Amino acid sequence: MNTWTLLKKDLQLDLRSLENFLSMLFFAVTILLLFAFALPLDDASHRLLAPGLFWVVFLLSGILNLNKLFQIEKENSCMEALLMSPISRGSIFLAKMAENMIFVLAMQVILIPLFSLFFYQDLLQHFFSVLGLSFLTCLGFSSLGTLLGGLTTDVRFKEILLPILLFPLLVPLLLASVILLKSVINGAGLGAELDWLKLLVGFDLVFALLSYLVFDYVMEF
Amino acid sequence: MKLQTALGAFSGFGLVYMMVMVFTLTPVETTQGFVQKIMYIHVPSAWVGFLAFFLCFVFSIGYLWKREEKFDMLALAAAEIGEVFCAITLITGAIWGKPTWNTYWTWDARLTTTLILFLIFMGYLLLRKFIDPGEQQMRFAAVVGIIGFLDVPLIHQSVVWWRTLHQTSTFFQTNKEKVIDPNLAAMLWISVSAFTLLFIWMLLKRNGIERERRNYLRRLAEQA
Repeated sequence: MNTWTLLKKDLQLDLRSLENFLSMLFFAVTILLLFAFALPLDDASHRLLAPGLFWVVFLLSGILNLNKLFQIEKENSCMEALLMSPISRGSIFLAKMAENMIFVLAMQVILIPLFSLFFYQDLLQHFFSVLGLSFLTCLGFSSLGTLLGGLTTDVRFKEILLPILLFPLLVPLLLASVILLKSVINGAGLGAELDWLKLLVGFDLVFALLSYLVFDYVMEF
Repeated sequence: MKLQTALGAFSGFGLVYMMVMVFTLTPVETTQGFVQKIMYIHVPSAWVGFLAFFLCFVFSIGYLWKREEKFDMLALAAAEIGEVFCAITLITGAIWGKPTWNTYWTWDARLTTTLILFLIFMGYLLLRKFIDPGEQQMRFAAVVGIIGFLDVPLIHQSVVWWRTLHQTSTFFQTNKEKVIDPNLAAMLWISVSAFTLLFIWMLLKRNGIERERRNYLRRLAEQA
């Protein structure tokens, strides 16, 4: 219940201005354009590059949202108020994580058509598989990201520190997502790489649980 | 203090003894030739690096559990030394890899895992740099130390599936066939022991320096 209240508050605030979401989305489109210009133009190489590129765009723009996740609580000492209120740290974590997931997945919904428009046409055919895969990737990304985002809120150079801390930890997630997306693009579907799917789901479960538990230590007051 | 000096002297002696043995009594490996001798630095460095990161993980848990500063100082010392030995492992590995695998770097599972581990703990040390000293710094560092270490099995598994070229571990063999000459194995054990002693000595030394430094800073703050 607390989680839902917090989530509603955050969604309300974010939807009113949309500035986080829009900046994240347009950043993603900009990177996509850079890749389109910088890399060879033929379909064959785009087909090879698409799975990796898709997730690089996802990570680079998703981290913008993580950077801003706790920023909103900094104003008027909202964080202190939040920590003093009778809400468990776990609820705060879940609310922030859900908020991040909602916005990053919303970005994916728009990004998948744009990606097929600008980079690799056939991706749109697999819209729902890619979105499902995005959900799994996002779960791991958001759980670790929320933990580290909360941790770096007060830290100097946090915009740099967050990716330095987060990206190496996400290597298994990235590898699994790239290989699964390759399998989807090749028409084999998610089931063809069952080991990788298990690894991805395992990563999600381990780090969702671990981050949820460890978050208490990050938010001490 | 006495123990520490003795440990230092002992590990110094061990290293000298090891070097003499490596270049005089140990036979040259038949297929790899002279370059194989770098293994007596590479393997123990890798061992010490991983041991250090594991200890950092243990001390981090210790800190979050007991909230005593000594755990934090030990975790910091372990992470710093781990970074140094991890770097030595990567560099000596590259030097050995060029004549043996004909490439300085390859995205083999263990190389990749070591590199990522190096990056994770670099982030850990940077995090410490960017937060002001105090209780928060210790808490955050401990969280990253724990998360970072727990990620290692997953990273390793994923890069093993991704691609692999490295020869299987010499010490942790599952098949009992002989992959290493007993003379070379003995030499490897000597060097691993010498490096481990060196590591323990460095850990205590670094811990002592850190304690002095924090005491000094505290006294400085009191005077101001």
